[in-house]
Amino acid sequence: MAVGPASVARPAPLAGRAASRRSLLERESVFSWVMLAPGVLFLLAFVAYPFFYGIFLSMQDRRVASAGTFVGLANFVAQAQDAVFWQVTRNTFVYTIVATALKMVGGLAMALVINQQFRGRSLARAFLLLPFIVPTVLSTVAWMWILDPTFSVINWSLLHSGLITQNFSWLGNATLAMVSIIMVNTWRGLPFYGITLLAGLQTISPDLYEAAAIDGASVTQRFWFITLPVLKPILIIVTMFSVIFTFSDFQLPYILTHGGPANATHLFATYAFDIGMSAGVLGMGAAVALAMLPALGALIVALTLYLRRE
Amino acid sequence: MTTRREFLTVTLAVTAGAALPLRHAAAAPKSMTVVRESSFIKPFDDYFAKTLAAEYEKQTGIKIVYEATSVGGMLTRLTTIAETKSGPEIAMTALNWPHLFDKSLVDVSDVAGEIGKQLGGWHENVLEVVVVNKKWKALPWGNIGQLEVYRTDWFKEVGVNKFPETWEDLLAAGRLLKKKGHPFGFELGHGFGDNHGWLYPLLWSYGGREVDRDGKTVVIDSAETAKAVDFCRKFYQETMFEDVLGWTDVNNNKAFFGEQISCTNNASSILEVGLRQFPDIAKVTDHGMNPAGPKGRFHLINAVSHAVLTHAPDAAAAKAFLRWLYDDKQMSRWLASANAYYAPFLHGYDNHPMWNVEPRYMPYKDSLKTSRPHCWPAPQGHAASESVAKYVIVDMFAKACRGDSTKDVIATAAGQLKQIYKAK
Repeated sequence: MAVGPASVARPAPLAGRAASRRSLLERESVFSWVMLAPGVLFLLAFVAYPFFYGIFLSMQDRRVASAGTFVGLANFVAQAQDAVFWQVTRNTFVYTIVATALKMVGGLAMALVINQQFRGRSLARAFLLLPFIVPTVLSTVAWMWILDPTFSVINWSLLHSGLITQNFSWLGNATLAMVSIIMVNTWRGLPFYGITLLAGLQTISPDLYEAAAIDGASVTQRFWFITLPVLKPILIIVTMFSVIFTFSDFQLPYILTHGGPANATHLFATYAFDIGMSAGVLGMGAAVALAMLPALGALIVALTLYLRRE
Repeated sequence: MTTRREFLTVTLAVTAGAALPLRHAAAAPKSMTVVRESSFIKPFDDYFAKTLAAEYEKQTGIKIVYEATSVGGMLTRLTTIAETKSGPEIAMTALNWPHLFDKSLVDVSDVAGEIGKQLGGWHENVLEVVVVNKKWKALPWGNIGQLEVYRTDWFKEVGVNKFPETWEDLLAAGRLLKKKGHPFGFELGHGFGDNHGWLYPLLWSYGGREVDRDGKTVVIDSAETAKAVDFCRKFYQETMFEDVLGWTDVNNNKAFFGEQISCTNNASSILEVGLRQFPDIAKVTDHGMNPAGPKGRFHLINAVSHAVLTHAPDAAAAKAFLRWLYDDKQMSRWLASANAYYAPFLHGYDNHPMWNVEPRYMPYKDSLKTSRPHCWPAPQGHAASESVAKYVIVDMFAKACRGDSTKDVIATAAGQLKQIYKAK
């Protein structure tokens, strides 16, 4: 069969294209972008777009199902004059600072305990993860019963053990309501600290402890001079994540108190939801939500700079 | 003899005429979705989803898909539907939502007019929440009234055989009941219904208003409001307990069935659940109208309605379905399945047999005459919704109950309202 020049030449470009694709992929700069692309696209679609749309909304007088009009910073000015907004700001800072501190100390203690050798350690580790695994809505509904003024198991125990003579109003009293939501948040967030710090603890070589013990270091000294310095970078990262989650917490306060009594437990997220979704004032709701940004941004920048310096 | 021109004209006309119904038939939707908030009355939801939807499909070939949202979740769902301009063609609305979603809702004035004519006319007070710029944006279905729910046996124990007519008389009864270990439990927290259900009527019954009819003049700072606040503080301190300050809508139901409280403000769902699950408590449960104050007796309107979304591919088909649904043949049966949970806004149903099944629901019908929307007499709209969402009135009373001065709580509320209503 006669083989014409055309039929010989036809496969050549295909092979050439495949080869050039392969060589293109072998270049590190190209390959890394190919690998990064799905993640970047995901972030663009589900993080960057909502974030920038939120900024856009916050500068609009935008009511639900209506076109918006540009109002510049008017929404931010209005919220600065809103007494409830400042109460919400105070609440959010108190909630975040106290809950994060409790989780940090408690989580570290939890990690140190479950890092020890004892019978049933694996089971204990599995159980300690439960608060983190159970969906927040479910566990919060359980807490609703635990803190229910009428049916509270805590009140029942305290009353029957003679420690109190009158039931605590866990969610009716402004101070106790804040204590309650901090308590539930700490309970839920403790395993995150515990397990992450446990992973850090397990990277510390036992030789270090042995050497320190031979040198006469006490348990406290070993903790301060070996454990804590090694854990510090992990502690900072975990704290950063925890602050972000706690600062923007929504489900827990929304289900337990809906911001009550009299706004005593309203946080940025619950207040933004009420304004944006319940009142339909989307622009103002976005502005309240964005009020979280400066504090969180400053924290992230500070911690990142600290880590880089370390 | 027919000319060729005449023949062509007739042929074209006949063809076009024949094609029209065909085109219409082809365009008729195969299915439509109706989204509603899940009712406390399961047979009511089931009657729609299983009986009425099936009947409509049999008659027209159009499948009606029923989407239920959780209690309290309908506003969020409606917001999503309106913002994305997609999803169900027909949606339930409540409170003043037709005003919020005005631009996303089809004008149903024609259907409302027909239904009104057929069924004795609409109650006047419902127009305020469903008619926007003289156009009906939703068809009212029924009111979920907020009334007083109380334990008849405990009231009798303290010598009160009939539910008190005035707030002062209720306070007197509450004092006695609290001493007997049966306090009242009226929600003062951030729920969505049982707080507003008695606090707005209390404010109005003392002559207080948050904003004037013009929707611009904030009038909350008045002697009448101060009297209402002072009464509320006394009512709370002498008949209730601290927990109510943090209650949301589930708490009073739980406390009532836990036999912790003798009276609360609620929809008829307590008796409805009681009849099914707590028959002993249901036997001694009854309803009373909101008590009267010096300036009258008031209730809160919550008109559950149905609206057609503008994104519906065939708004005419959606309206046709609503026309069918609101026909007495269907409406009467569906209302009856709800055990009088929804008080219809049509005078034709003022003496409907559904009211005779359980006479204890009658006050919910009687309360329609004195029902007003939140923020009344201010016009309905975004500002009114913002005031409700920010719990301005609820928190004004709640702060007074926890011990803040009357002057301070009114001043705070006035400041918030001025900002919301953009008043000077």
